[in-house]
Amino acid sequence: MPDRVLLTIGTKKGLFVAQAPGSRGKFALRGPFGPGVDVYASLIDTRGRRPRIYASSCNPFFGMKILRSDDLGKTFEETKSFPAFSKEDGRALKNIWSLEPGSDEQDLWCGVEPASLFRSRDGGDSWEMVAGISNHEHARKWQPGAGGLCLHTILPDGERIHLGISTGGHYLSEDGGRTFAPSNKGIGVGFAPDPFPEWGQCVHKIARHKDAPGRLYLQNHGGFPDRPGIGVVRSDDHGRTWRSIAKGLPSDFGFPILVHPHEPDTVFVLPLEPMTRTCPGGSPAVWRSENGGGSWKKLAGGFPQKETFFTVLRDSMAIDEMKSPALYFGTTTGQLWMGREGGEKWSCLFESLPPIHNVKVAVV
Amino acid sequence: MATIHLPTALRKYCGGAADLPVSATTVRAALEELERSHPSLHRNICDETGAVRRHLNVFVNSDHMRDRQGLDTALAPGDVVTILAAVSGG
Repeated sequence: MPDRVLLTIGTKKGLFVAQAPGSRGKFALRGPFGPGVDVYASLIDTRGRRPRIYASSCNPFFGMKILRSDDLGKTFEETKSFPAFSKEDGRALKNIWSLEPGSDEQDLWCGVEPASLFRSRDGGDSWEMVAGISNHEHARKWQPGAGGLCLHTILPDGERIHLGISTGGHYLSEDGGRTFAPSNKGIGVGFAPDPFPEWGQCVHKIARHKDAPGRLYLQNHGGFPDRPGIGVVRSDDHGRTWRSIAKGLPSDFGFPILVHPHEPDTVFVLPLEPMTRTCPGGSPAVWRSENGGGSWKKLAGGFPQKETFFTVLRDSMAIDEMKSPALYFGTTTGQLWMGREGGEKWSCLFESLPPIHNVKVAVV
Repeated sequence: MATIHLPTALRKYCGGAADLPVSATTVRAALEELERSHPSLHRNICDETGAVRRHLNVFVNSDHMRDRQGLDTALAPGDVVTILAAVSGG
């Protein structure tokens, strides 16, 4: 049995770390870390001999920082520098939305607001802007969604890199990040006259599995009665074309989307009522497909049956890599839920945390 | 010489000092002097474009700089430039 399960929980008031034995019997919570400001991104980096934790620290007073821990989240320190635009660029960093591992132990990607991509080759101590997307001809034309103009998803796949931008869409590099092109054929919008524009989609999250080459699952901004089914889509050709897999869901609006760690055909979403962005009918449920989106099963065991109206944001759901994995999600009302047996049995681990922006998990 | 007085949260970026002497004769020049002498500290006060961060207030003695000449407010020997976080949040 693995030593322990580690969760990072980025909240409005800093980063929390929760740790449990491999049985996931009891999670001990520590934190909050950082100066009590929003943490929109965290990463448990298990590539090295010793796991590292990174977290963004989105300080409205003193600017954006990145925190790093080399002792499994017992202490954190700021990295030596942070992503930043050049003075000549004219843009200023507003937020840090994603931190993802690159090709080696020191290689990191960072997605920010306004939507741009940065890369560090030394574990976060120095950063370079990735011009291919940050200075893309569309970059100054993207529109912010309600959460801001964010580059929130980074999925490296060899020389391919998939990016999710809200509101910009899915952008694909096939040359290691030197150049990017919009790749949204089949991803719809409900807020523009053209239902399928080349770019400008409000992509919420993208997921892939390494054992299903070319396949991607994408939670889009759905919930438009006149354009049904655009909210949950799938690609089988590295994101060149997409098709709806929303049939059978109670709503095609939602934020996170996940793939099972051992089963590429098993995908999870958390549908929300599109106007309020809360649980449909006040009854929370995660929905699971075991055939790549062909059909869906409601997973509600352990949730309240009624009068529950929480919201789960794009980075607030994660799944561990145990043989029988558990899902985890955090709500904007500060609850942290765990769903054992692939989401069959839910229990609330923490009931009263600050509003949760992101949840990551690793078995270490 | 004027003095820049720093809030506690920023003192770790300048070796723990609460006050830093500057030879500049305007607020703008004082911040530029900070950018050269303490770049990490400066980045906490100003964003990449050089603008003072939105939720920070800069006072010259007891006056907010916006009530004088903003970044062009003149500094005389003995003046104190105080940097404080604004009242905001939730």
